Amino acid sequence: MSQSGVTSMLSIKGLRANVGEREILQGLDLEVGAGEVHAIMGPNGSGKSTLAHVLAGREGYTVTAGSIRFLGEDLLALAPEERAQRGLFLAFQYPVELPGVNNTYFLRTALNSIRRARGEPELDAVSFLRLMREKLKILHLDDSLLKRPVNVGFSGGEKKRNEIFQMTILEPSLAILDETDSGLDIDALRLVADGINALRSAQRSMILVTHYQRLLDYIQPDYVHVLAGGRIIRSGGKELALELEQRGYGWIEAELAA
Amino acid sequence: MNALLDAGLAPWLRAIDPGPIPAWWQERRRRALESLQTRPLPHSKEESWRYTSLNALLDQGFTAPVQPFTPPPAELDALLIPGLDTHRLVLVNGCFAPELSSSTPLPEAVRIGGLSNWLADDPDLLEDWLGTAIDGKAAFFTLLNEATLADGLAIWVGRGLVIEQPLEVIHICSGQAEPPVAQPRLLVHLEAGAQTTLIERYVGLGKTPTCTNAVIEVSLARDAVLRHERIQTESNQAFHLSGLYLVQDPGSRYQGIQIGLGGRWARTELNVRLQGPHAECLLSGLYVAGDGQLLDYHLDIEHRAPACRSLEHFKGILSGRGRAVFDGRVLVARAAQKSDATMTNRNLMLSEEAEVDAKPQLEINADDVQCSHGTTVGQIEPELLFYLRARGIEARLARRILCLGFASEIIDQIADESLRGHLNSVIGQRLG
Repeated sequence: MSQSGVTSMLSIKGLRANVGEREILQGLDLEVGAGEVHAIMGPNGSGKSTLAHVLAGREGYTVTAGSIRFLGEDLLALAPEERAQRGLFLAFQYPVELPGVNNTYFLRTALNSIRRARGEPELDAVSFLRLMREKLKILHLDDSLLKRPVNVGFSGGEKKRNEIFQMTILEPSLAILDETDSGLDIDALRLVADGINALRSAQRSMILVTHYQRLLDYIQPDYVHVLAGGRIIRSGGKELALELEQRGYGWIEAELAA
Repeated sequence: MNALLDAGLAPWLRAIDPGPIPAWWQERRRRALESLQTRPLPHSKEESWRYTSLNALLDQGFTAPVQPFTPPPAELDALLIPGLDTHRLVLVNGCFAPELSSSTPLPEAVRIGGLSNWLADDPDLLEDWLGTAIDGKAAFFTLLNEATLADGLAIWVGRGLVIEQPLEVIHICSGQAEPPVAQPRLLVHLEAGAQTTLIERYVGLGKTPTCTNAVIEVSLARDAVLRHERIQTESNQAFHLSGLYLVQDPGSRYQGIQIGLGGRWARTELNVRLQGPHAECLLSGLYVAGDGQLLDYHLDIEHRAPACRSLEHFKGILSGRGRAVFDGRVLVARAAQKSDATMTNRNLMLSEEAEVDAKPQLEINADDVQCSHGTTVGQIEPELLFYLRARGIEARLARRILCLGFASEIIDQIADESLRGHLNSVIGQRLG
C-alpha cells in the first residue's frame, strides 16, 4: 500500500496471531504511510479488534509469525507503554471505567509519561489545565469532565468522545480507532468525526477499524481494506466501502470460500 | 498477676503519677488489675485473637518509661502536616504536653485538659465520666491501660456548641533506653447538639520499636455530631493497640474514618453502642499492609435502640507478605426494630503471599430490620492496567494509580485537603 516517497509509519508483514488456542490473524499484510488514513472493514469475527489489540500490545494475544515495524522499530519488542510513548494510540472499543482516578490527573500523568520518555519537559498543572480546556471545546465536552473519575458513569457516547479527547491531548503519530463509531447516535458521531478530522495531518496516520461504512461518510479514508478470515483480502479506495455498503460482506465471504 | 508476670507485661504497670491520686482512681486501677489476674492472656482459641498472635509483641520487652520525656521541638515540627489548620493537642507517652500544644483560646464551652487538670478542677465530673463508655466491656488491653491509668486527655464540648476548627490530638510514643510502651487515655464528650471534628494521629518518632496501647472513650449526647478521623502512620517497627468505645444517644451522628498505614503489628478494636433511637454511626476504614505488617481490625457494633443506622465500610490494600484481619460484628438487639446496618469489606491483593482474614457477621434479634454484609478479595484487573499502560503510563506507576483510586473512596472522606494529600503521598510511598 505504501506509496513511493511516503515515509513508512507502520509495516505489517505475514502477521499471525492467536487468542488462546485459536488462530485469529492468518497472515496479514498492511503498509501505512505517514499522513494516511486507512479503514479496515470486515464482518464480525474477522479479526479487526484482534489486530487493534495486537498493535497496542494487549496480554493474551500471541503473535506466532510475521513482523510489525512502527516508525522503523520492532513494535512487538516493546511494552504497551513504550508503544504509546513512541506515538501509538488505541481508541478502545470498550473504554474501561477507572473508579477514583481523576480524569485530569490521569491524562496529565499519561502526557507527562510520554514527554518524559521522549526527553521533553513535563507540563505543570496550570499549563496542562489550559491545554485541557482548549481541547475540551473541540469535542464540545463539558468542563465537569476534568474533575470526574475516568469514564465512571459516562454514557457509551461520552466514553467514545473521551477516547478522542485523550487522543487530541496525546497527539499520537498513529491512531488506531477500534469501532469508535459503534453505539454513537448521529450527533455524537458527528462530534467524534469532527474531532478526528481536526487531527488529520501529514505526520499523523490513522487506522479506522469499523464494521459499518457510516463513519466513512464523515471521515474520508485514503484506503479501504477488507479483512476476512484473518487476512486482508481486498484493498481499494473509498469506493470499496460504498460497494460493501451496497452488497454487504456476503459476496466476499462467498469469494473466500470459493 | 501470674499471666502478666509470665508474659513479661509487669513493666507495663509502672505509671508516672501526675500528682496525688484520689482513692476512687486507685480503686479503678486495683479493680482492673484484679480483673487481669483472673483472665488468661489473649490466645488463639479466642475468636477475636484467632488470626493474631501476641508473641511478637511480648518478645519486645516493652517497658513503661519512668521519666517524663519531651521531644525536641524540631522533631515535633517534622510530624506536623503543612497546611493542616487545627487546634493541636499533643500527648507524649500518654501524658498531655501543653507546652507542645496550641495555646490559642477556645470557646469557653469547650473544656480541654490533661486528666490531672481535670482532677484538680472538676474531680466529680471526671469520676462519673471516666470508664462510662466502656461499661464493663473492657478488653484485656483496655484493662491494662486502666491498671496504669496516670494521665491522658479529656475534651468536653458544651451544649449546642459548633467548633469549626478541627481538634487534632497527636499521640507520640518515644523513649531513650528501653523500648517504650505508652498507654494514653482519651476522653471525648459532646453535649446535646454540639458539633466538632477530631483528628487523632498516631505518629512515630525515630525508628526503634515502640508500643502504644490507647483507650479512647467517646460519648455523644442527643443530636451531637462528631467527625472523628483516626490516622495511624507509625513506623514499621511500631506495635499499636487501640480500643475505641463509642456510645451514642438519640439522634446523634458519628462519622469515623480509620486510616492504618504504619506499624509492624497494629490492632484496632472499635466498640459502638447505639443506645438512643435514630442515632447514626458511619465507620469507614482503609488499611495498607506491606511486607512484615499486620493490621488487625475488630468491630463490635451494637444496635440497642430502634431506628438507628450503622454503616461499616473498610477497604484494604495488601502487598508483599502483608497481612490484615477484618473481624466485624453487628448485633441488633430485640428492641432495635427498624435498624439499618450495612457492613462491607473489600480487599485488593497485590501479591500471592499477602493474606487477609475477613469475617463479617450479623447477629439479628429483631424482625423488622435491614441488614447486610459483604466481603470481596480481588486483584488489580488486567484490563484496567492495560488501559493505563496503553496511554503511556509505566506499569509500576499504573498500579500505584489504580491502588490510590481504590483507596480514594475512603481517603476522599477526610475533610481537609492537605491531610488527604499527605495520606495519598504516604500511601504512594508505601506502595513503592
